[in-house]
Amino acid sequence: MNRLVDSHVPLFRKILIFASLLCVWVATLLPQSAMAVPTFARQTGQNCVACHTGGQFPELTPYGRMFKLTGYTIGERTNPLSAMVVVSAASVADTTKGESTDPVTGNPYSTGNSNSQFSMNGQPVVATASLFVAGKISDRFGGFVQITHDPYASANTDGSYSGHTVADNIDIRYADRLISDNRDLVYGFSLNNNPSVSDPWNTAASWTQYVPVASPTSHQFTDGAAPYPGFGLDAGGGGGQVAGLTAYMFLNKTYYGEVGLYRTASNEFRALREGTDDAAITVLDGYAPYWRLAYNRELGAGNIMVGATGMFAKVYDGASDPTDSNSFHQVRTTGLDAQYQYILDPHTFTAQFAYFRQDINYSPNSVAAGNTSVDTLIDNVTPVPALSGSDTTNTARLKLAYTYMAKVGGSLSLFNVNGTSSANRITAGYSGGEQTGQVSGNVTGSPSTSGITYEAFYVPIQNLRLGVQYTAYSQYNGSSSNYDGNGRNASDNNTVLLYAWLAF
Amino acid sequence: MNKSVLIGMGAAVALLAGCSSVERSRDLADPNVPGVTLAQQVCSNCHGMDGNTISPAFPQLAGQQPSYIVNQLTNFRAEQRTDPAGYRYMWGLSRHLTDAQIADIADYYSKQTPKRPRGPSPDATTLAAGKQLYTQGDAQTNVLACVTCHGPSAQGMAHFPRLAYQHSDYIVKQLDIFQNTEGRPGTPMAAVTHPLTAQQKASVAAYLQNFPE
Repeated sequence: MNRLVDSHVPLFRKILIFASLLCVWVATLLPQSAMAVPTFARQTGQNCVACHTGGQFPELTPYGRMFKLTGYTIGERTNPLSAMVVVSAASVADTTKGESTDPVTGNPYSTGNSNSQFSMNGQPVVATASLFVAGKISDRFGGFVQITHDPYASANTDGSYSGHTVADNIDIRYADRLISDNRDLVYGFSLNNNPSVSDPWNTAASWTQYVPVASPTSHQFTDGAAPYPGFGLDAGGGGGQVAGLTAYMFLNKTYYGEVGLYRTASNEFRALREGTDDAAITVLDGYAPYWRLAYNRELGAGNIMVGATGMFAKVYDGASDPTDSNSFHQVRTTGLDAQYQYILDPHTFTAQFAYFRQDINYSPNSVAAGNTSVDTLIDNVTPVPALSGSDTTNTARLKLAYTYMAKVGGSLSLFNVNGTSSANRITAGYSGGEQTGQVSGNVTGSPSTSGITYEAFYVPIQNLRLGVQYTAYSQYNGSSSNYDGNGRNASDNNTVLLYAWLAF
Repeated sequence: MNKSVLIGMGAAVALLAGCSSVERSRDLADPNVPGVTLAQQVCSNCHGMDGNTISPAFPQLAGQQPSYIVNQLTNFRAEQRTDPAGYRYMWGLSRHLTDAQIADIADYYSKQTPKRPRGPSPDATTLAAGKQLYTQGDAQTNVLACVTCHGPSAQGMAHFPRLAYQHSDYIVKQLDIFQNTEGRPGTPMAAVTHPLTAQQKASVAAYLQNFPE
């Protein structure tokens, strides 16, 4: 799929907003027992709460996990189309110290006004819209294909924005379940484009992110570079944009194991990253192994999972020549995660923890090229030190969430990123005699970012969630104050986010 | 037409045409899938492979009276049970089950061996009060003895469900539904539960979950 709406964003936005309001209106007219909800609910005829904890998508209940692991095949084949729209408005604490260039594309803002970055601040926007083609295909095949449109993918030189539509998460499965007196074995295969998108627990990297989430580095202030665990493969589009085949098994609802291999989504696998330009896709050297183990147990109304995961990938730098063996970096990721859920009407409580350690060995070419962001440090004298050959980043998340009667609830999410400080991470200082920095600047070379997100939400009908979030940063890119060397403090990125999340 | 399109089309044809079988199917709209297969492949996700559940959110079905299971599934299918858990979970799953599949599912679960749910034991006073209510009722408040219909072993009888080893939380919630709503029509339980106090409901439910061997 190619770019759909370049240069037509204002009109497209109006249409989306109108469509969203129309859908909200139609949805509110439906009786609550109506099954006019996305494909999976149509397929089983069940309410969202059957598969989603307290009705809070995308977090899965034990039954939701079994639905996924058995290949989305429970129920009957039905209309496979569903859609999701997130309308949001965000307000960032300090909008006076924006960037002079688009942090997403690197293009300079036309007006030269550094505050252009915040032109959508406080305004209602259609933050993201997805189309899903999902559900049962046959008795043992099923799938989940998400195509996402980002109306604010990049800023144009005239101050407008261009949207972009990409293949987002894709998970196509074959699954079987073998049952005997002492054995209940679910096994299957997943063709997917994002490591861990096939995982049934929401502490997996692909699902930890509680969409939407405030982020000061995207134009609509959602998603973007929010600190979440990952495997270091994201080329900027939705999903992981790579092609993977995994094999998994779940024995007696207790032991889960999955192994897989990922490669570049090229040639016959091109559909898995459709919408991303060839020059922007993630290019892997050979096959990258992925693994996942988890132990699961039911405890009365609760259930607990502890797990571990990992991946090792050789990723080519940017659009560099994939035949140059000096132009790929190596990323080794190891993660630990745990989840406890208590589900007994009218209460739902979830505690989630995820910790990812990522070791990166930079490519010889990138180390030799030196720092391309700045020439000198913030004193405008000291040259940027030579780059190091490797870095380590640790990302931890803890989230507690409660929902009452699948109607109202709240969550508390703590995040912490730390790791080695290195010249590789320095993006603020002087370049060509001009000071760089601001929102995404990093003057210290430390990745340390930490904070907390508070959230309250209300679900008037099962396919609409209204929420308010406040994200407060105690550290950002290495410091609590003046992290960019140009006066921006971590707390300047604190964000209030209002959102309406509609699925239909 | 390029290679990837051809591969995609070929895969789609293979998925749709070549891979269907009723064996181990989870298709709830295929009348050819045996009820036992559906019980194991679908119902077991919540109700357990042997009808014993760990979570009190889902009722125990092991050893349940087959007539009762048939009755309830038929009511779900006809959208007559309107209690929230009923319509949220069961309307859709049962909407296209055939009478034969329902009978198979009922037969499968009725033949399983019920096990007492794990959990802390209630205090002796609560158990004694529950037993008193179950076996004798309460003449002062016009509460009928449960044993009359549900049997001395709480094993149930025909349309009257087995209650022994049922989760106490589930029993209390069902008693609330009978007492305060019209979510489960067509039973005498609305009248039976009318005089029950919250304490009585809790004690009889605790007694039934921990029913003596």
